Amino acid sequence: MASPKTVPKDAQVMMQILKDMGITEYEPRVINQMLEFTYRYITTIIEDAKIYSTHAKKSTVDADDIRLAIQCRVDQSFISPPPRDFLLDIARQKNQTPLPLIKPYTGPRLPPDRYCLTAPNYRLKSLQKKVSSSAGRITVPRLSVGAVSSRPSTPTLGTPSVQTVGTKVGTPVSLTGQRFTVQIPSSQAASVKSGHEYCLKSHGNLFGKMCTNPAATPTTPTVQNVLINPSLIGSKNILITTNMVSQNSSGDSTSLKRKHEDEDDYDAL
Amino acid sequence: MAAVQDGQMELDAEKETKPEILSDGTSNLSGNTASGTLSSSPLTAAPAGGAPKMEDQQTLIAVLQFLKRNKLTDSVEILRREAGLGEDQEDSQATDGSGGGKGDVDGGDANSLLSRVSITSAAAPQSMCDSPLMFMLSAAGADDQPDVSVVLSAYSQQGDPSLYQVYYSGLKNFIESVLDCHRAELSQLFYPLFVHMYLELVYNNHENEAKAFFEKFSGDQECYYQDDLRVLCGLTKKEHLKGNEVLLDFRTSRFVLRISRDSYQLLKRHLQERHNNQIWNIIQEHLYIDIFDGMPRSKSQIDSMSGSLAGEGKREVNKAKVFHGLLKEPEIEVPLDDEDDEAENEEGKPKKKKTKKDSLGSKSKKQDPNAPQQNRIPLPELKDSDKLDKIMYMKESTKRIRLGPENLPSICFYTFLNAYQGLTAVDFTDDSSLLAGGFADSTVRVWSVTPKKLRKVKSAADLNMIDKESDDVLERIMDEKTASESKILYGHSGPVYGVSFSPDRNYLLSSSEDGTVRLWSLLTFTCLVGYKGHNYPVWDTQFSPFGYYFVSGGHDRVARLWATDHYQPLRIFAGHLADVTCTRFHPNSNYVATGSTDRTIRLWDVLNGNCVRIFTGHKGPIHSLAFSPNGKFLASGSTDGRVLLWDIGHGLMIGELKGHTDTIYSLKFSRDGEILASGSMDNTVRLWNSMKAFDEVETDDFTATTGHIHLPDNSQELLLGTYHSKSTPVTHLHFTRRNLLLAAGAYNSQ
Repeated sequence: MASPKTVPKDAQVMMQILKDMGITEYEPRVINQMLEFTYRYITTIIEDAKIYSTHAKKSTVDADDIRLAIQCRVDQSFISPPPRDFLLDIARQKNQTPLPLIKPYTGPRLPPDRYCLTAPNYRLKSLQKKVSSSAGRITVPRLSVGAVSSRPSTPTLGTPSVQTVGTKVGTPVSLTGQRFTVQIPSSQAASVKSGHEYCLKSHGNLFGKMCTNPAATPTTPTVQNVLINPSLIGSKNILITTNMVSQNSSGDSTSLKRKHEDEDDYDAL
Repeated sequence: MAAVQDGQMELDAEKETKPEILSDGTSNLSGNTASGTLSSSPLTAAPAGGAPKMEDQQTLIAVLQFLKRNKLTDSVEILRREAGLGEDQEDSQATDGSGGGKGDVDGGDANSLLSRVSITSAAAPQSMCDSPLMFMLSAAGADDQPDVSVVLSAYSQQGDPSLYQVYYSGLKNFIESVLDCHRAELSQLFYPLFVHMYLELVYNNHENEAKAFFEKFSGDQECYYQDDLRVLCGLTKKEHLKGNEVLLDFRTSRFVLRISRDSYQLLKRHLQERHNNQIWNIIQEHLYIDIFDGMPRSKSQIDSMSGSLAGEGKREVNKAKVFHGLLKEPEIEVPLDDEDDEAENEEGKPKKKKTKKDSLGSKSKKQDPNAPQQNRIPLPELKDSDKLDKIMYMKESTKRIRLGPENLPSICFYTFLNAYQGLTAVDFTDDSSLLAGGFADSTVRVWSVTPKKLRKVKSAADLNMIDKESDDVLERIMDEKTASESKILYGHSGPVYGVSFSPDRNYLLSSSEDGTVRLWSLLTFTCLVGYKGHNYPVWDTQFSPFGYYFVSGGHDRVARLWATDHYQPLRIFAGHLADVTCTRFHPNSNYVATGSTDRTIRLWDVLNGNCVRIFTGHKGPIHSLAFSPNGKFLASGSTDGRVLLWDIGHGLMIGELKGHTDTIYSLKFSRDGEILASGSMDNTVRLWNSMKAFDEVETDDFTATTGHIHLPDNSQELLLGTYHSKSTPVTHLHFTRRNLLLAAGAYNSQ
């Protein structure tokens, strides 16, 4: 964290607010995120208030306009859960109906097809093959006890097959001390980056965002970023990261500086 | 008025409070009796219909008053005629509403009622009744609240704002001057009174007085309320209150205090002697005092039970009969030839043959009186594959290691590497063959723990070509080309906070911040259904022990019971004041326990959705729950680092396990219930001697009527071992069928 005298005033205010609310541990980038959110929220409110005040043919924006703007935005962006009496009411109604009897011999018990997702009209086109062909790596998903390079048999039922413990009971040995090093050869990362056209045509939300920039092609600068965000649980993560970074080059700056893990829920799609 | 808006339980409470206060006090009974009887008459209507009718009545009356104020006399007449409201009824309703505030003799009190409201009010009592409603309605106009009932629960001012500090200090001095035995009990009053008085000041726009009040008295409150006070500190304007539904619920619900009769008499006498007993008004309106006869409780007893956002549980809440016994196991014939492969040693064989016969059913043929009927709730019938599973289960349990203080389990820890704080949920199948992890990047990953790889079912075209009559058809339907160690399931659009395998290992549930619960098939590894109901993050979900049903709990403060073949929930368990963070089924699938951020645990009946138990005592949000295998006890862990043990049948706390220093995210009983394992964010797994903790309970003489518990401070004796991981918080614990303890967590490099 930057020393206090070089931190701008609004960041200091934000740090103070976080401290007052009892939040003591946070990553330094949280301050930036909070400041961005504040800036965007205030700007939206003030713009709305300006519109209302011109509509009311007032010369200046006053507190009533701001209040109205806040009220309208609250219903849109910050929806709070229903009040308790409402919940108790619907709970009472719902709980009056007896539990439905279960028909025997019906196969998989699923709701009517209309409510299921069993008929997708899309297919995930992931490029696992290309990834796995190169160096056959990303062994991380195989999180078994033991070193990554060797492949010990995972504990079968009842017999912990890891070396130290065996079938001896009574020695409360925890095996957490074993550390594994996951090698991430740079060649692997380089191969991973190739061909990340992870397109997801008709799926909403998170993946839809990826599709908005079909022109984005991964370029070599992304390799370094892959290394920086080595969430190598699966190739999917790498795909997301690289795509986001490549979108960065197209100028969409606000939301993409963050790692994909940071769920910016307020950044409505 | 505040109590009317709540559910039936609160209505009963209101009915009980008034008679209780009536029978004790020497105050002017006329006002109270009038409102008491009048309030009871609408309440004697049918329970289901009673509460909604009351709410509608209130709304209509509020509208009527509003029209009157605006001198729309014709509309008043029309409305009165159509709604069937009598003249006296609305007055009495109004009296009922402010009855809490007017329950006293003092003329001074009436004067204060008059003086506080700035709206024109004649000296007639009529307008005195009107004024609180008027005040609330003007607030309604300003806020444009769609929900009138919330508005009607607003604070009516109880006196001059600048004198609040005086009132509070007066009470403080009084309580400090009473006898020691009463002081502990009466000190329970401080926190709810403080919060309600502060909220009143804020709601009525007295910001400066509110701030001064807060600064002066917030330091006196108990340490375990500090988190709440910090939230309160940030609320200085009325607008801030609007978005905070936890505090809204706190305002409308009644904080429950359990005080002995002697202490209560003392308090009542003191408050009614005084000229300005605004505090008495607040107590009547916002607090529920559950009086019991007997010795006043000591400070430690009170401390162990308090801490929740709604005070303690009322006595009668925990008196309902709970069927905590287990369901009878179905009779299954075990084929003999399978046993021959397993048996290596001679003494193994006869042992197994014996257990085959009597391990299935309980030893006695009689129905356990504490067990529910088999058909109390509809349960799915056993399919052939389920019967095979049961046979495997029995075989495994014969090889089960008997654990005990001298025989501790081995612990096998599965560490997730490179998860970067993204691991948010873990579950194991019951036979420990599969492991699922929910992650903050909205994926769910399934791993095979055994050497057997995960395979998808072949496509329909390929399935046509296989020989359906062959013995190994179940292997043939699997597509070898798709074999892999792990599979990733995509579909959620937010971090996955809960995962749960079905008992038959065919399905996986995952609940996420996007508000949906998704059902995945573990044969095709695709998503089958998305259950939409919570529109807010769903913090936890769990399949029932028999499959078919599952429960989910989320930010909207309710838990929902679903069945896989209904797209809407079957039951809604509403009652918590804050988010439901943890949901667990009882082993007999008839009850659901929910832990919440309001620091209480509630036990719900699946059959009719009623809350049958409320357990208070935790000082922080509850994040883990575990039922003992025999169904009698419940263990809970929270952010305060303590594990509390509860007796479900009696509804009491029976043990407290101290030792952890950080939030406890996982609790699991061993297969026979002798050992309780707890895993926490402080990177340790601790083993506790639950057998001993429960044994001590059985022999004690319960003071079940008063519910006083005196917890022995024996955490050190019960602790059997502490096992540290280097830097990995423990997210999940699981005992295999042979009593090996598996633990899972994500390596935290910081």
